[in-house]
Amino acid sequence: MNEIVNNGDNKQTLISVRDLAVHFPLRGGWFAEKHVLKAVDGVTLEIKLGTFFGLVGESGSGKTTLGRALLKAAPISRGTAEFADGEVDYNIAELKGKELQDYRKRAQLIFQDPYASLSPRMTVRDIIAEPLEVMKLTSSRDETNERVREIAAKCRLNLEHLRRFPHAFSGGQRQRIAIARALVSSPGFVVADEAVAALDVSIQADVLNLLKGFQRDLGISFLFISHDLSVVAHICDHVAVMYLGRLVETAPTDKLFSHPRHPYTSALLSAIPSLDPDDRAGGQKLEGEIPSPTNPPPGCTFHTRCPFARDLCRQEEPQLREFDDDHFGACHFAEEFDFTREHGGRAA
Amino acid sequence: MSLIDVENLTLQFRTDEGLITAVDDVSFSLEPGEIMGLVGESGSGKSVTAKSLMRLNPDNAVYGPKSRIILNLDSGPVDVLKLRPGRGMQIVRGGAISMIFQEPMASFAPAITIGDQMVEQLLLHRKVANEKEATTISIEMLERVGISDASKRFGQYAFELSGGMRQRAMIAMALSTRPKLLIADEPTTALDVTIQAQVIDLMKDLVADFGMGIVFITHDLGVIAQTADRVAVMYLGRLVETGTVRQVIKTPAHPYTKGLLNALPKLDNLSAELTPVPGDIPSPLERPSGCVFNTRCSVSLGTPCQTRIPDYSYVGEGHEAACLLLEEEAVKA
Repeated sequence: MNEIVNNGDNKQTLISVRDLAVHFPLRGGWFAEKHVLKAVDGVTLEIKLGTFFGLVGESGSGKTTLGRALLKAAPISRGTAEFADGEVDYNIAELKGKELQDYRKRAQLIFQDPYASLSPRMTVRDIIAEPLEVMKLTSSRDETNERVREIAAKCRLNLEHLRRFPHAFSGGQRQRIAIARALVSSPGFVVADEAVAALDVSIQADVLNLLKGFQRDLGISFLFISHDLSVVAHICDHVAVMYLGRLVETAPTDKLFSHPRHPYTSALLSAIPSLDPDDRAGGQKLEGEIPSPTNPPPGCTFHTRCPFARDLCRQEEPQLREFDDDHFGACHFAEEFDFTREHGGRAA
Repeated sequence: MSLIDVENLTLQFRTDEGLITAVDDVSFSLEPGEIMGLVGESGSGKSVTAKSLMRLNPDNAVYGPKSRIILNLDSGPVDVLKLRPGRGMQIVRGGAISMIFQEPMASFAPAITIGDQMVEQLLLHRKVANEKEATTISIEMLERVGISDASKRFGQYAFELSGGMRQRAMIAMALSTRPKLLIADEPTTALDVTIQAQVIDLMKDLVADFGMGIVFITHDLGVIAQTADRVAVMYLGRLVETGTVRQVIKTPAHPYTKGLLNALPKLDNLSAELTPVPGDIPSPLERPSGCVFNTRCSVSLGTPCQTRIPDYSYVGEGHEAACLLLEEEAVKA
């Protein structure tokens, strides 16, 4: 396995993932070979303390599963994931009992759909207070109210809002309620799973600025899962691209966008609809769809859709290699092609 | 001659809380072969406007007395709002106008094969001799939209197809009746960017081939920039700006359009600050008086904007926007 060396800025590593795999067993016959769905397979990455880490890929690429595995909400079948925030040092796969409870306080999740993630029968105050009560983080009702008010104010919700029920709020306001609930236990690490995908663009910018503010002011590290590369480009410091459960590229945001080292990354970049009506050529389009993860193609899993694929790609799986500081990619021919140019040069 | 003329369309919903205005005095027309992008936030009334063209709104919808939706068919003009319910609507629904939706899984019947659904509507709406001919047409259409192994897919159910494939099948079904007008309601929103790019290309190809007009509803200005010829921006049921795609995206005139564009992440300038449109879209029960956008507008003039409904000002050839600031500029000039 490739060692990812800590270079670049010397921030402390918060989460260190080595060869992580999440496999789900599929039902098979008695004598038939048991099949497994490899949702995440052999992922190695590091999330530095205080960064906004983006995780992108199409649906079915395993980005949500990886996010959940890091929260111990999906079973880890192989490899390790270590969480070290300076106070505690946990092996996420082995967490249980008291330690797991403590980890829940430190790592939280924001969901995609604020219409589905808030109980319609609870007031906003009760929704935000629930994590405190469940995790027994406060000793009195006054203290709970105090913490709820404090975080609500940071998410720009006023006292009047706290008395109401979720149905009275718009999408953007609801997402701010969901964010307040995730942050009320003062976590150091938050997984935001498509947290702005369901919002209008006018509101999306507002929620993104809010999250960015929490990173800046409270030093919270985010794992920002998204399929929208233009959003990721704006908000994330570091980006990892997944395809069929594997990490195909990871780099600081500006490097990934200016000089992608994997054809899948550049294909994703060129698929973003340009805001310029005179730029309708749109570069090279990716053919076909993501294959089923129950039966991934041999060799490089991307070869079935890759315009550059050769024989080697069909036979041998490329390993993640370092190109320059902190920029890793998994393509046999990364040096031979300038993917940016081949795809119409849309990237920044 | 234009394909469809919408004049002074006003639509209110009767609810327990009173009348809610969803569409307020909207007028536009569409030429054959033209793609018009209808943009706006959720709650802006873009879907309701599009559904009015086929009168698909629920029974509590009340159309304003001056509203006209004139569909120019080969047999002569038809006012959609005057058609009788039921059979009278058949020339419009599935005949002259087809619609594709955001969530293709929800729009196919789950327990009937794709093929049977395509054949059924062909037999109903197009003069097709028999089932065999309808089958041939359907399979051809599935091939045309890029579905491989079309005759196998013809016998499958919606759940057996992937998301992108389902959306293609949906487009094939909508176009097999040869509609004059296609209403596409957020057809790419539920798809991955790579698949979205494929579907956009397909739709542009099909317009070139079939020459129908498309009303393309989306909240994504990037998708609009890539597909539309003209754009209409809606806010709280009103059309605030219309123009060609270049005019609206490159030289927006209305503060709301400017706000939407500023809120969008831009790939050529990653460090640019994202500026949200301040506040939230007001509830339709608390419709602001005067200019509907005045509660969120950063350049509002105060009282004048809160009291007077702005007229459409000329911005450029075919480019109009409804804002008092533009009216003032016109007076000064």
